This record gives sequence, C-alpha cells and structure tokens, in this order.
Amino acid sequence: MTHEIFLLSIVVLGWVVTMVVVAFMVLLLKHRELQQSIQADEITQRKITKRLQESEMRLKAIIESEPECVKLQARDGTVLEINPAGLRLLDAGSPGEIVGKPIYTVVAPDFVACYKENLQRVFAGESLVYEFKSITLKGRVRWMETHAVPLRHEGGDVYALLGITRDITEHKWAMDQARQHQLELARVARLSTMGEMATGLAHELNQPLAAIANFTRGCIRRLRSGEMTPAELIEPLEEVCEQAERAGEIMRHVRDFVRKSEPRIVPANINQIIRSVDKFIELETRQEGVQVTLILSDDLPQVKADAIMIEQVVCNLVRNAVEAMVESKSSLRHITITTKQGESDYVLVEVSDTGPGINRLVAGRIFDQFFTTKSEGVGMGLSISRSIMESHGGKLQVLPQSEGGATFTFSLRTHAVEYIGAERRASYH
Amino acid sequence: MSTSVMSEPTVFIIDDDPAVARSLRWLIEAVKLKVELFTSAQTFLDTYEETTPGCMLLDVRIPGLSGLELQEQLAKRYAYHVPIIFVTGHGDVKMAVRAIQVGAFDFVEKPFRDQELLDKIQRAIIFDAEQRGKVAKQVEITELISTLSPREREVFDLVAEGMSNKAIAYTLELSSKTVEAHRAKVMEKLHAKSLADLVKLSMQLRVNTP
Repeated sequence: MTHEIFLLSIVVLGWVVTMVVVAFMVLLLKHRELQQSIQADEITQRKITKRLQESEMRLKAIIESEPECVKLQARDGTVLEINPAGLRLLDAGSPGEIVGKPIYTVVAPDFVACYKENLQRVFAGESLVYEFKSITLKGRVRWMETHAVPLRHEGGDVYALLGITRDITEHKWAMDQARQHQLELARVARLSTMGEMATGLAHELNQPLAAIANFTRGCIRRLRSGEMTPAELIEPLEEVCEQAERAGEIMRHVRDFVRKSEPRIVPANINQIIRSVDKFIELETRQEGVQVTLILSDDLPQVKADAIMIEQVVCNLVRNAVEAMVESKSSLRHITITTKQGESDYVLVEVSDTGPGINRLVAGRIFDQFFTTKSEGVGMGLSISRSIMESHGGKLQVLPQSEGGATFTFSLRTHAVEYIGAERRASYH
Repeated sequence: MSTSVMSEPTVFIIDDDPAVARSLRWLIEAVKLKVELFTSAQTFLDTYEETTPGCMLLDVRIPGLSGLELQEQLAKRYAYHVPIIFVTGHGDVKMAVRAIQVGAFDFVEKPFRDQELLDKIQRAIIFDAEQRGKVAKQVEITELISTLSPREREVFDLVAEGMSNKAIAYTLELSSKTVEAHRAKVMEKLHAKSLADLVKLSMQLRVNTP
C-alpha cells in the first residue's frame, strides 16, 4: 500500500514538475501581465517574483553569453532588446545607442523597404530567414542573415519579432570570390576561342565574298565578249545579292557574340584606374602639348568595375579630347579628369577639355556607331565606350555646354563591402 | 584511249559550299569550258571516269573525305587521273605544299584573281592533254612492238643501240642477209622510215616504261 502511494506520489510529483516548467515558460513570456495579476496574492507574489527573477536572470545569462546577435523588435522596427553580441555586431558601445531606436538606422538604405516587408510578414505570423546589408554605427558595411520568428501573446497576437542575426560578410565575400573566379575562367576561355573565332570568321566571310567576286567576274567576261543578254544577268546578280546578304548575316552573328561578352566586374579603385590611364597617355598628351590635371577625390569607396574596360573608356575620352584640341588648333590645351562622390551609391568621373566643344547639331549623334567628326576617325570610340558603361549599369553622357570645351561624365556604382577592399589593399603593401 | 584525248576537257569542281561552287562554274563557263560540280569527294569518286580529260579544282577543306585523302584515293585507284588544283583558304598553304609534294598540279589561295585561276586551269588542261598524248603514244608503241617476232625484237633492240648490221649478225650468229631482212621487216612493222625513227621509238619506249 505504501508502495503504491509512493509510486503515485512520484507520478504526481512528475506532473507537478512538468506543470511548473510549463508555467515558467508561460510566466516568462507574459512577464508583465503576470506581475500585475500576482499583485493580488502578496505571499505567492514574493515567491513567484523571486523565481521569476531567477529564471529571468538565467535566461538573460544565456542570451547575453550567446555569441550571435539576439534581439526583439516591435512592429514599427523599434529595437526592444538586444544582447551584447548584437551591440558588438552593430558597433554600439551601449544598449542605449540601439534599444528604443528604429533598426533602420543600421540597415543600408537599399534594403530598408525589403526589411520592412519582412518585418510585416513576421508580424503576420511567418518565420523567415533573410539577408540584408547593414551599415553599422561606425559606418562599416556588413552582410547579415537573420532567422526571425514571431513572439505571441497568450491570445495569439504577435507582439515582437525575435531575431537571431549573424554576420555573413565573410561568407558572402567568399561566394563572390568564387563567382569572380568563374567569370575569370569564362573570360580566359572566351579569349582563347577569340583567336579560333577570328580564323573561322575569316573563312566564313571569304566564302560569300569569293562567290560574289566569281559571279561578277563571270558577268564581266561575258559582257566584254558581247555574248550576254541583259536577261541572262538576272540569275547571277541574284546570286550576288544572296551572297552579300549571307555575309551580312555572318557579321550580325559576330556582333551578337561580341555584345554578349560581359564585363568582369570586381571591386576597383577608380583613382588608380585614372592614374594608370594618365600614365599611358602621357607620351601622347605631352607630344601634343596637352596638360592633364587630375582632381581625384580622396576616400572614395571602391567601385564595381572591369578596370580594363573603364581604362578603355577614359582613354577614349582623353584621346578624343586631345584630337579635338589638336584638330581645332586650340591654343589652350588642357584636360581635367575629376573623380568625386556622386549620388548615394555612385562615384562620378568627369573628363573635360578646353577644345572647341561639341557642336549642337551633332550632339545627338556622337554616340552613334560610325559617326565621327575626325578626319581619320572610324566613329567607334564613343559608341563602344557607351556600351561599356551600359554593361556596368552606368551611363556615359556629355554635359550641357558651359563655356567652351566638352565635358563627358560617367558614373560607377560603389562596391558594397568597402572595408574588405581596404583590407585587401593594405595586404598588398 | 586515243578517243578520250579528243573529247571535251571538263573542269571538275569539288567544293562543299554550293554557292561558291556555282560561282566558280559561272566564272569558268565564261571561258567556254565544261564544268561539273561535286559537293563531296565521295560523290566525285563514285562517278569519276578516268578517261575524261580536264582538270580538278579541289577545296582542301571539304568535310568528310578531305582533299588530300581524295588525292591519295585517286592515285591508288588509277594509273592516271586529271591534274588537281587545290583551292586553299588563308593559312592552308602548308597543306597545299604537301599536296604538291605528293603530286598535285598546282594550288590557288583564296581570295584569288579570276585570271590567276583561269590561267592555272588552262595550264592544267594543257598538261593533262600532253600527259594523255604521251600515254596514248606509249600504248601505240607498245602495241606496234608487240607485233615483232622475238628475233625481230632482238634485232630492233640492237639497231636502236646503234650497232651495224655486221655487228648484229656477229652477235646473234646470223648472216648479214638475214639481219638485213629482219631489219626491213622491223622498219615496216613499226612504220619507221629511217634509223632515226627506230632510235626515237626505242627511246620513247624506255622513257614511258619505268
């Protein structure tokens, strides 16, 4: 009998323990309400408060020692709570710099809209994993990944977002590196096929051209010997047209192929690009008595660019300027290349000269293929330059005429993770 | 054999690019030559009659059986075939040189001037006619000589070597009269009018019989 009672009491005790644990959980989550409700019973209150405090301390200890950022956010994005790891992640010295403030102060502007949407989804009851770019209180750019779950009241209403966030910048950078490596490989592969392609192309083009020559020579011979009627010319001439069209078709394929070659976009230092262009045009400019001034803004972020292609663009612009000033026999020969911070995520480059400027009549056509004002030009430079800029997601423009001379400008997007660029740059020295 | 020499020379064009082939025909027909087109080496081999005189324009880069392989096949199958002019693209000159080394008549590098090509074709056709003439002549001589009796043949060989009747008689242990009779018979059978004719015949026989 005593044995059964003993067993029963163990079972009961087990239940009691379980219930207590569950109660703790519920109590914990509804801390404030509980505090109100327990005012009624003072004796129990003291006990429960003590236990609650203990449990809260324990939880706090766990959360505070958690190496990843744990934070609670309100529906409007206000940070309710954050652990020390989170503060460190956001470069905050004390909780006061973050808690009670909107999370958007540390979300990159591009990502705010997206972030808000995710927040709403979590408050609608979804659990999400999302990535975003963060700009810390010290201005460092970092990539974050957040696992977000809704926290609910007893009634089921979501009252907070619980987010566990980790820094994935390194990981993202590694992924970028891998992608860049692949692009590089593709580029090398393309380069090696270029030679083959050129040979193949020459052969391909020679066929219709040879046919055209043969047909017309055949016609000329028959016409010379006077043994051909005009009607007999039709058939060979149709063949000639067909072959000319065939050659045109081949050229179209080539153009499509070339257009498909994508730039190899990596973080690049725009000032460095300008300086290297300055170096290899130095001889040309000096020979023509052109003075080149560089006004390069310091502390510009790195840009997303294929350095070789951008060099080509700047080089084209400078050469155009030199040629314009030489052809117009300008007495003042000055080129200024400027780099500066543009709107938000852009860096601006300007190339201006003291030449004759761009005639209003032709201003609309200067970017067209085969349009040239130069006596020996082919009219490809600006056309190619513009498509290079377009492939970079930017634009090459000519600025409205101010006083003499021409000014071309283009913009490049800044690279997201600047500080990594800085680290890498430092490692070269 | 001799009838084929008389038939019209044909320019065989083997090019896988039909437009180029048609344009070549149009050009070559302008100088009143007969042209036949083939789009592959195989179709040419399947229908080729070696008795047709002329020449061949062969693109080195034809797919399938290549130009050089066709040349090999022809050499293997026929004692004599039309001379081959290889048509090469830029950078195929090495291939053309190899083709010449193994017996091609000539090559033209694209792009070519029409006159250059037509001249080469004319030269090839003349060369072909000469070769066919020589072959025909050799056949004729061989046929004539085969009508000689063994003794007559012996006498012919020695006469051609420049021996006198007496020397021949001594060598063959015959009487001078008999040698003279054989010699008259040889002259008659070989339609020779003089000693010089006999020597020429003998030389031609030697030249054409490797």
